[in-house]
Amino acid sequence: MLRFLTRRLLSAVLVLFAVSVLSFLMFFALPRDPVTAMCPKNCNPARLERVRQELGLSDPLYQQYVGYMKGIFVGRDLSSALGGHCDAPCLGYSYVNSEPVTRTITRVLPVTLSIVLPAAVLWLALGVGLGMISALRRGTLLDRLAIGFSLAGASLQLYFVGAVLLLVFCYTLHVVPVPHYTSIWSNPLDWADGLVLPWVTLAFLFSAIYARLSRAQMLETLSEDFVRTARAKGLSKSTVYGRHALRAAITPIVTIAGMDVGAALGGTVVTETTFGLQGLGRTVWDAVREGDLPTLMATVLIAAVFVVVANILVDVLYAFIDPRVRLR
Amino acid sequence: MRRRVAAATGCLLALVMTLAACSKNTGQHGTTDSNRKLVGVIATDPKDSQGPAPEVTGASKGGTFYVLKSAKISHLDPQRIYSFVGLQAAPLYARTLTTWKDDGKGNLKLVGDLATTPGEDVNKDCKTWKFTVKDGVKFEDGTAITSKSIAYGIARSFDADLTGGPTYIQEWLANSADYDTAWDFKANKASLPPGLTTPDDKTLQFQFAKPHCDLPFAASLPFTAPMEPAKDTGVNLDTQPLASGPYKVTKNVPGVELDMERNPNWDPATDPVRHQYPDKFVWRFGADRDSADNRMISDSGPDQTALAWDDVSTSLMAKVAGNAALSDQVLTSPTPSEARLSINMQRVTDLSIRQALNYAIDRDDLIKTLGGANVAEPVTTLMPPSTIGYQAYDAYPAGKTGDPAKAKEVLAGKTPSLVLAVMDDEQDLELGTQLKNNLEKAGFKITVKPVPEDSMLDAVGEKNNPWDLYISNWAADWPSGASILPPLYDGRGIKDSGNNDVSYMNDPAIDAEFDRVLAMDPAQQGPEWAKLDQRVMKEIAPAVPLYVDVRYVLHGSKAGGLYVGSVFGYPAFTNAFVKS
Repeated sequence: MLRFLTRRLLSAVLVLFAVSVLSFLMFFALPRDPVTAMCPKNCNPARLERVRQELGLSDPLYQQYVGYMKGIFVGRDLSSALGGHCDAPCLGYSYVNSEPVTRTITRVLPVTLSIVLPAAVLWLALGVGLGMISALRRGTLLDRLAIGFSLAGASLQLYFVGAVLLLVFCYTLHVVPVPHYTSIWSNPLDWADGLVLPWVTLAFLFSAIYARLSRAQMLETLSEDFVRTARAKGLSKSTVYGRHALRAAITPIVTIAGMDVGAALGGTVVTETTFGLQGLGRTVWDAVREGDLPTLMATVLIAAVFVVVANILVDVLYAFIDPRVRLR
Repeated sequence: MRRRVAAATGCLLALVMTLAACSKNTGQHGTTDSNRKLVGVIATDPKDSQGPAPEVTGASKGGTFYVLKSAKISHLDPQRIYSFVGLQAAPLYARTLTTWKDDGKGNLKLVGDLATTPGEDVNKDCKTWKFTVKDGVKFEDGTAITSKSIAYGIARSFDADLTGGPTYIQEWLANSADYDTAWDFKANKASLPPGLTTPDDKTLQFQFAKPHCDLPFAASLPFTAPMEPAKDTGVNLDTQPLASGPYKVTKNVPGVELDMERNPNWDPATDPVRHQYPDKFVWRFGADRDSADNRMISDSGPDQTALAWDDVSTSLMAKVAGNAALSDQVLTSPTPSEARLSINMQRVTDLSIRQALNYAIDRDDLIKTLGGANVAEPVTTLMPPSTIGYQAYDAYPAGKTGDPAKAKEVLAGKTPSLVLAVMDDEQDLELGTQLKNNLEKAGFKITVKPVPEDSMLDAVGEKNNPWDLYISNWAADWPSGASILPPLYDGRGIKDSGNNDVSYMNDPAIDAEFDRVLAMDPAQQGPEWAKLDQRVMKEIAPAVPLYVDVRYVLHGSKAGGLYVGSVFGYPAFTNAFVKS
């Protein structure tokens, strides 16, 4: 287990290094020059160059990269145009937002976590629950309804469902407030109230895939020999389905859930845009549009960390769910 | 006078156009004042610069006024503000040397804001300007605003760290485009830029090497807002500016929310234009245009006292324009942002071709392509109708839909092949197709050349660009011909790249006229610019004027006192109140 974890962590570091280098290069491949936007009128080349130097954008690429990475671990001194000294973990200073990127991330990350984590619990409970029920009640009306529901969820898009739900429940019936974010620590009720619509929308759309997947997995597992054996031994239905069959069926679902949650934490651009919430996804989008390198780097790195960590967690979870899997 | 702002307008327009093209709605609706004619003057009577501003009919104190906007305000630091939203939000918390008294109906008067008058041209040569600071003006912390704090505000705009703002006064004082090297702010914080002096706490004096008769206008931009040296936090001032206006920033979560509450140290008796009706202004960022507009249509709860900042999207335009119940919630007006088909005169040297283009243009169809009368309004002049001294004329009368026969007659058998560059987004491509179909009816052969959106502005500013025609936008920083005609058509400013004169017109006789009018008293310039506008179009025809943008925004039923500002064409908040 320890060897496995060490190996996975090392490869995670490599992946994150590759992502950081690529996102750095990607920024410089963008067609727009952030300096032009800083210097709106009559910016002759000399003045443009001065602004570029002030922002540290005229240093060689590797130097900028090393400076950035160093800032994350030990902090760094930035020019006065970039707010002066920046404590570790320093993710740079956004000249677009006029604030340290660490402050931006500290602000927007809880928004994304608040959207994704409760929604993930909902979509997993709903999806796996529906899938199991329809597998156990195969061919019944309940099964057909569950299949129909999941088909609808799988074929619709978030920006459509979100807009319709907003129009009906928020703008017309006024049963839910306009989606907004309040910290869970300051007002838990308002936190839930403001995010219920994104949760329901995400749960509806994501649960579809889980319902279909868990139904198929469960049906396959139920036809396995060990299930028949367990039933023949006289074990109760709930023990066979709950302890044996479900455990075997859920392994691939955990894999997909890990990847989905990791990716969603990394950037729910469409969700946040549809519901007007300023989380990590919207921040990435804004950073790309505005040529805001420090913010872009930080958000892409954090997104990569989420995906990598989620994958490691999935692998570890495997060992607990399925005793046949042993990690070496 | 801003390439960036012009670009921003272009982007905004682009958005409007995409959506507008779907609905083709042409219904005119709401509290439009499409016949708004600008009568602008510089106040000569000091009484005009005194407060308090006349009470707004029906206004009462109290409540929270919300503003919903999709994207954040790029800068709050007055010395860095140059976006339209920044220019409209700044008067709430920042006062400037001069400001515009705007009745929202086209009557504009430039008055003193922190100064007792809009400036005194000491020697009548526009080189020496004197401003006297009013008594009783204070910062939010109660400290008195003096000529020294205003001078320090102007001085810090020289700081290379504080990018983004306009650069007129810096360049005029330094007599150089490289003002930040001519005078280094960081090395000279205790002194003032060359030419800027404060003989005493009440007097501020500008001494320019060349005449700058437009100074009173330029001084209305937020970069003349005062600043206390001890409170200057450099780049961090952008998140927490120091207020001198009726409101102060009490909470700022960039990209999410901006709260402004009453500033108790603002004295209405000193302010000729602002009010302090709502207890609070709350800006909320992030909601996209559709969702903000749906909330205005739904008109419930706090949204009743809100304004949706962004123009109504075209997907909702038909619904809004067709609903009479919403007419009281619509704020609409043509703006000073004008689009023209610029003709590259280095390539199209034949006057008859440029004239024929003007005869051929079908503005009616063009505006339908854009989305109708709620999106754009046709113009035939180089200066938009909201310019001081504007006179309507059509140098090439051909009706609303153009006159291909007349164009052919002017062309006298020629069939010019022209390349039209358009941005490569959907709406501009659509516009390109429309223009191609339109002009080819008159005998032109048009090749539409898509150019990446991000590089379009820079590409047409290259002197040797390979195109004959392109659509360009211009939004002036003040409604004077001086900030429209010379920057766009003075050939002496043409350089290798970064040109605003994208027609590359270079006519010494007209340049001499520019100099003559610029040297006149600004109050007398209006009719002269209007005459020059006609002369340029008739004698040279460097462009085909197309349309001005139309602002079309929604607000809640209890949001009162709003109007579309005549200077920038965006909603103004100086009279805003919450209806009880």
